[in-house]
Amino acid sequence: MSADPVNVLLTKKRKFEREPDGRSIDFHERVFELEQAGEWTVHRVPEDHIEVETKYGNVKKIPRGHLWHHKSCGQCGHIPGYSTSIFWIMRKLGYDYEDPRDQTSCTAWNYYASATSNPAAQAAVALRNFAAAYETGFYPLIHCGTSYGHYKEVRSELLRHPDLRDEVRKVLAKLGKAMVMPEEIVHYSEWLHALRDEIAAVQVRDFSQIAVTVHPACHYYKLVEGDAIYDPDIYGGQRTAVVTGIAQALGADVRSYSTWFDCCGFGFRHILVQRDFTRSFATMRKIEVMKEEADPDVVLTHDTGCVTALDKSQFAARAHGHNVGVPVMSEAQFAALAMGAHPFKVCQLHWHSANYRPLLEKMGIDWQQAWAEFQQQLDKLENGGQQFVTWADVDA
Amino acid sequence: MKGPADMCTERVLVIGGGPAGLSAAQAVSDLGVDVTLVERRSFLGGTPIAENYASLTPFCQPAEEVVGSMVERLKSSERVEVVLDSEVSAFEGEPGAFVARVATPSGERELHCGSVILATGFQHFDPGRETQMYGYYEYPDVIALQDLEAMLKAGRVARPSNGEPPKRVCFVQCVGSRDRQIGNEYCSKVCCGVASKEAIEVREHLPDCEVFIFYIDMRMYGYWENQIYWPAQERHHIQYVKGIISEVLQKGDKLLVRGEDTTMGRPMETLMDMVVLSVGMEPSPGTRAMARVLGVAQNKYGFIESAHPPLDTVSTSRPGVFAAGAALGPADLEDCASGGGAAAARAVSAIRALAAAG
Repeated sequence: MSADPVNVLLTKKRKFEREPDGRSIDFHERVFELEQAGEWTVHRVPEDHIEVETKYGNVKKIPRGHLWHHKSCGQCGHIPGYSTSIFWIMRKLGYDYEDPRDQTSCTAWNYYASATSNPAAQAAVALRNFAAAYETGFYPLIHCGTSYGHYKEVRSELLRHPDLRDEVRKVLAKLGKAMVMPEEIVHYSEWLHALRDEIAAVQVRDFSQIAVTVHPACHYYKLVEGDAIYDPDIYGGQRTAVVTGIAQALGADVRSYSTWFDCCGFGFRHILVQRDFTRSFATMRKIEVMKEEADPDVVLTHDTGCVTALDKSQFAARAHGHNVGVPVMSEAQFAALAMGAHPFKVCQLHWHSANYRPLLEKMGIDWQQAWAEFQQQLDKLENGGQQFVTWADVDA
Repeated sequence: MKGPADMCTERVLVIGGGPAGLSAAQAVSDLGVDVTLVERRSFLGGTPIAENYASLTPFCQPAEEVVGSMVERLKSSERVEVVLDSEVSAFEGEPGAFVARVATPSGERELHCGSVILATGFQHFDPGRETQMYGYYEYPDVIALQDLEAMLKAGRVARPSNGEPPKRVCFVQCVGSRDRQIGNEYCSKVCCGVASKEAIEVREHLPDCEVFIFYIDMRMYGYWENQIYWPAQERHHIQYVKGIISEVLQKGDKLLVRGEDTTMGRPMETLMDMVVLSVGMEPSPGTRAMARVLGVAQNKYGFIESAHPPLDTVSTSRPGVFAAGAALGPADLEDCASGGGAAAARAVSAIRALAAAG
């Protein structure tokens, strides 16, 4: 009772222990109740999984392998090295997966950008993709943060509204699809987080000198926030643990900055109709603050819009003399680089705008040689020697 | 010990040795009935002592002195038995003939009693669970009301990050209270008064320190308005700002406090050296545990449910078991002390009624 109060306080702050509260209601029970009632089939997480803790203390199962990759429109269109890195890591670790050709867009872009569409259409698209995954036997892994967040909102709506389930059932019947709800909706960054030690064990590049800032994606941890991963050992359990967790596992120097909670500026509606706002916010509210407060070598994030907004807005701010110029990439690309991935054949950093070359040099990568190797690969394609780059080529 | 009719045990069991439990045990003893007080800690006095409160709201008397005098008076009462470091592990029986098993450091003990008073109190809301981004576990200079109390008691208000006296301090009200997202929709009653009291004390310790209180609306019950609220502004120049703080962030060696100034109707950002979170009250682990062991109903928040409100505030769902103080919900010290007395009167009258009925 008479110890120094500051020491007592600092000791107390070393460990946050969550207690259940009004927000900790676990949705899983309801998902299985509806299966019991014959409303849908629950796609169970494979037995080979890792259990992690979510924001309010519930357990989430993250499957290791046998995954059905629900890709991202924006990643495939603008930053292809993002999804390639995810596949490459999975192959390197020896986990099987399915890269489907019949996955549709989640259509959440319409919903968030312009409020078009309607709940039944949104939910039907989600369950259509879940059914497609179930048919293959592979478990869905969502690459896009927006799809992931949106599907979780859709799940909440479906759990609460029988009339919505009825409407969706009619749509799926026309498609010849069953009503399927996965036991967990899993984002790729959760997979990287859960397997971070496994990834770090095969790391070949030293990242201890790489200063990192993390932009956590709004659609990952602000939508159905109770289902996002938190860890009392990362930020004292006060911010989501994904991205930071793997960056720390890879030995990087993770630095904080005051606007970490802010949006990247993408904003969906803003990038479409107020793009100047996006450019200003991404640079003046995020990149410049990071530079001033943390001076990172790279910004890591885990969603499509965040990578594009933070990276591709910097050219405009640079033209106006702002203090920008930090490479931006996904933590998947960062982890792949740590594991020895080729910066252009796998991570495809040439699709990124901010100058990443000093970062590669700091990572010990000879980017000029790597670029020459990539050019040779392109020559083969141009000469008609090959139709496309293969997995064997990227590690050649 | 058996009662006059050899049917009823004329002993009251009080569980919890904080202000409500002390008051209850004292009143039972004063009414001429034997009382056993079981306390899980190794000392009496409850949260004000365990959390090192400097002074009590609203009169600012030293907490240790005031609570200490209650403890001393109780200990000197002949009819009182105090059992420390002990917890009730099982409970059975009927009014007038209850049997509690008590786990003590020297082994399990069976205790016969005619009625019981639960005074197991509250715990401070853990700001790590807050919906807003207050960074209690991230930033050393974000502290809670009880942390500042301990500093005030030690006579040194300093920033935990560097040991220097703060030049700008703010209090953030309603942390963990009046919050639907967390599920604590209730007002914790005392935080506005305690924050204002502590704000005054900070100004007294550090006259050059600017002190702000960010509030949704100030709830200064009864005389607290004139005892604390107006002096805080008029004599001590505490600055009350109506607004909601949404996040606290590290900015260099300062804390950036961000929120909305609802009077001005605009967003607000300001730098502080130290942020004090006015955390609310939640049922203590002891309150939750004893409710289960004794089989009394709890409300949706986990506090003991008062069976016949509003005029009978101390009866629980189990006849012969009464409750007092913050085990029933957020309460100030006056309520705890008077609730203890009311519970004692009911507990004693219940025994005597049974004894009289033979």
